[in-house]
Amino acid sequence: MRIGHRLVAIAALWLAGLGTAQAADPVNVYTIWPENYARPMFQEFEKQTGIKVNFLRFSSGEALARVIAEKNNPRIDVLFGGPVETFAAGIKEGIFEPYKSPSFAKLPVRFKQADGQWTAIADDPLVFMTNAAFLKANNLKPPASWDDLLNPAYKNMLQMADARTSGTAVTRIFSVLEVNGRDEDKAFAYLKKLRQNVQVYTKSGGGGTLPVGLGQAGGGIFFIVDALETKAKGYDVVVSFPKEGIGSSAEAIALIKGAKNPEAAKKLIDFATSPAMQSKLAENKVNFVPANPEVQTEPSLAEVLKGAKIIPIDDEYAGANRKRIVERWVKEVLPAQ
Amino acid sequence: MPGWRRVAGDPALLVAIVVLWALLALFVIYPLAELLRRAFVDEGRLTLAPLLEALADESHRAAFFNSLLLATSVGGLGTALGFLFAFTAVRGGLPRHWLTVLDAAALLPLVSPPFTTSISIIFSFGPKGFISHGLLGLANVSPYGFWSTTLAETLTYFPIAYLTLRPILAAIDPNLEEMAFSLGGSRWRIFRTVTLPLAVPGFANAFLLLFAASLADFATPLILAGNSFPVLPTQAFLQITGMFDFKGGAILSLVLLVPAAAVFLLQRYWVGRRAYVTVTGKVGQRSRTRALAPWAGVLLVAGCFLVAATIVYFYALLLFASLVVAFGANNSFTLSHYQVIFTEGLPAIRDTLIIAAIGMPLGGFYGVLVGYLIARKNFPGRHAMELVAMINYALPGTIVGIAYLIAFNDPPLALTGGALIIVACYVFRYSPTGIRATVALLQQIDRSLEEASSSLGAGSSETFRRVTLPLIAPAFFAGLGVVFIRSMTAISATIFLVSISWTLITVRILENMTEMALGPAAAFSVFVIVVVYLVVAGLSAVLVRLRAPAAGAAARSFLGG
Repeated sequence: MRIGHRLVAIAALWLAGLGTAQAADPVNVYTIWPENYARPMFQEFEKQTGIKVNFLRFSSGEALARVIAEKNNPRIDVLFGGPVETFAAGIKEGIFEPYKSPSFAKLPVRFKQADGQWTAIADDPLVFMTNAAFLKANNLKPPASWDDLLNPAYKNMLQMADARTSGTAVTRIFSVLEVNGRDEDKAFAYLKKLRQNVQVYTKSGGGGTLPVGLGQAGGGIFFIVDALETKAKGYDVVVSFPKEGIGSSAEAIALIKGAKNPEAAKKLIDFATSPAMQSKLAENKVNFVPANPEVQTEPSLAEVLKGAKIIPIDDEYAGANRKRIVERWVKEVLPAQ
Repeated sequence: MPGWRRVAGDPALLVAIVVLWALLALFVIYPLAELLRRAFVDEGRLTLAPLLEALADESHRAAFFNSLLLATSVGGLGTALGFLFAFTAVRGGLPRHWLTVLDAAALLPLVSPPFTTSISIIFSFGPKGFISHGLLGLANVSPYGFWSTTLAETLTYFPIAYLTLRPILAAIDPNLEEMAFSLGGSRWRIFRTVTLPLAVPGFANAFLLLFAASLADFATPLILAGNSFPVLPTQAFLQITGMFDFKGGAILSLVLLVPAAAVFLLQRYWVGRRAYVTVTGKVGQRSRTRALAPWAGVLLVAGCFLVAATIVYFYALLLFASLVVAFGANNSFTLSHYQVIFTEGLPAIRDTLIIAAIGMPLGGFYGVLVGYLIARKNFPGRHAMELVAMINYALPGTIVGIAYLIAFNDPPLALTGGALIIVACYVFRYSPTGIRATVALLQQIDRSLEEASSSLGAGSSETFRRVTLPLIAPAFFAGLGVVFIRSMTAISATIFLVSISWTLITVRILENMTEMALGPAAAFSVFVIVVVYLVVAGLSAVLVRLRAPAAGAAARSFLGG
């Protein structure tokens, strides 16, 4: 046994050496924002502070599962981006360390957890996104009501995210709960009807955007940031909002309890919650709505949002019921076809 | 205890056995035990309640039966397709270079990263697919579900059946068929009563290998199965990553263990023993067999080329997607996706290559050492060692990944986050091919060679180094090849093990796909295929140079497992 252990120890040291060829005190991050949104922000942070950001991207469910699994021996310092309901679930697992950045006091109540367990860095409303050619071929107007999506013309042609892995999906389900006055049975009756038109539930929130862009699917429900990105890539898609209202989720950041580089981590949180980062969103064509009141929403984004009825998701209600609601969705909605 | 005394008298052997058992205990037994503990021990008490709960859940039961249905279909169809290729290659009378073309196309799916077939199927058979909509004019076809998953997995895994069946068919002496022919049997009757029965053990073996491969496959169903056809490996993954439910995920993956273990034992102790066809005399002097009617030959060749063309078409689509701005919307040529993978994707490429480069020699050496001990040395616990060394190979990757994640996160064995855990995962999961190749080779080499060395006074390490090692070099290189290919293409286990400092190309591909960055995903895939082909070609060249008698067989076994 001893020889085996020593061999392993030597190998481990050698491999550990391979992994640590970096400058002192970087900050380690799981980002829930896709890389193409997160990378320019981290580069800006590195430029301003000289602190290197090591990051890995996961969808919100995966990231949270990782952080919980690593609780006794945290591998990261900051959880970056992702809808607040994910962070609310994380609070229950006791994985965050409260921290209030200098911007904390200026933020509206909706954009922060009272103890500073998480702070919002952006706002991200959901939208309906449809393929223009599909609408034309089926003589449809862009959907303007939740019930429009139940039209048989959409049968097997909608794609949206799976609630087991995606915060987008959870925000969508809570939107349906809100427009139904939190009447769960009514909301689930709607979701089961919607299921009939869904081709596939994707693992990631933006997973369905490319199929909708390509016409593999006719439409779906996505965060505005993903929908506008699809449009910017050149796919002919239409963004619309339901008249009953649709949910918006704040995107948050949090310090991990037991973080090994807390000082660098706090600097990243200071940066992300302030205009220093949020003023760079528009410049990098990342279409999140800034959370910090000192940063103006970019005019073309404001134009898209004009007239839309946006319902902020109550994170306390969402956090308290998330697990149960998702389980009910998996049991009742997924197999309802 | 004469066995122990013999071992004790040979220090090199003793050290090797102790070290190997220590490694097996650490990287095979301990993680699996941790997984079992996590699943069945609740607050210090043994309980089966969570298991019963999981089995009572209707969607989990459906996933279990779906997994079996999928594996059976893929096993059957893949074996049929593999037989078509093998029979054509052996009896079709194709010129050599055409056979090479056919081989290259057939092996493409085996050396590719996951998802490649899946992406192409979506683009070909989706609602706006090139084939379903563009060619056939169908609307609203769903590319998700049982059939597309079966198609993708069959195309991905049938080469295993091909590689298993080809040597067996080649070993059937055409003279047998010739004799039956001259006795007045019809061609169909001969095929039915002579050729097929001789190939039956091969069929069973190929079927079980495909069954196991499909059972363990996580990537294809994740993309293609959709929601109406859930299967166990993806359910286990979603249970953990989506519901933060480690216990549930562990239990689901253990449910998968039952059919996986059954198939493995069946293959090994029942079919494995029979899967040999006795060869007598020289087989080089064959004239073309008359056992195949000309029209049948044409039909077989046409069938093979149709399948090969489908595969080539799928990969052409992938290459195309990697070279255009936005697939389907803006088809103008660009190299920007390759620029992305060689700048932003460079860490993943570097990490993957480093891990593959470290794992390759370790895996090759480990395989040869274990194979040698099992085949040549008589020591207590030999069979147990053989069985334990096979465990991680027989288990679906999801189980191994979850077990490693659970076992190696907390001190003192906090290996998650490093490269070692990924390397260990690959070495202990993919070296068994090297072990089997070594055992097979040694069974063909007479023991007396080594005995002569011992009686001349050489110790067991010197005999191993100077006599045995040169003889089993082909198996060593075969082992290297398999570990390298898997290090470049596997995902099911390692998706749980990547970290901030160490990530992998395959995980990046999945990430790109879920982020709708199809271009970089395709570019990464093309890169992996090119690298793997180059390395395999290099290793094959080494094997040819060795001119060892069994080099050819070892080269074939590259991909056989």
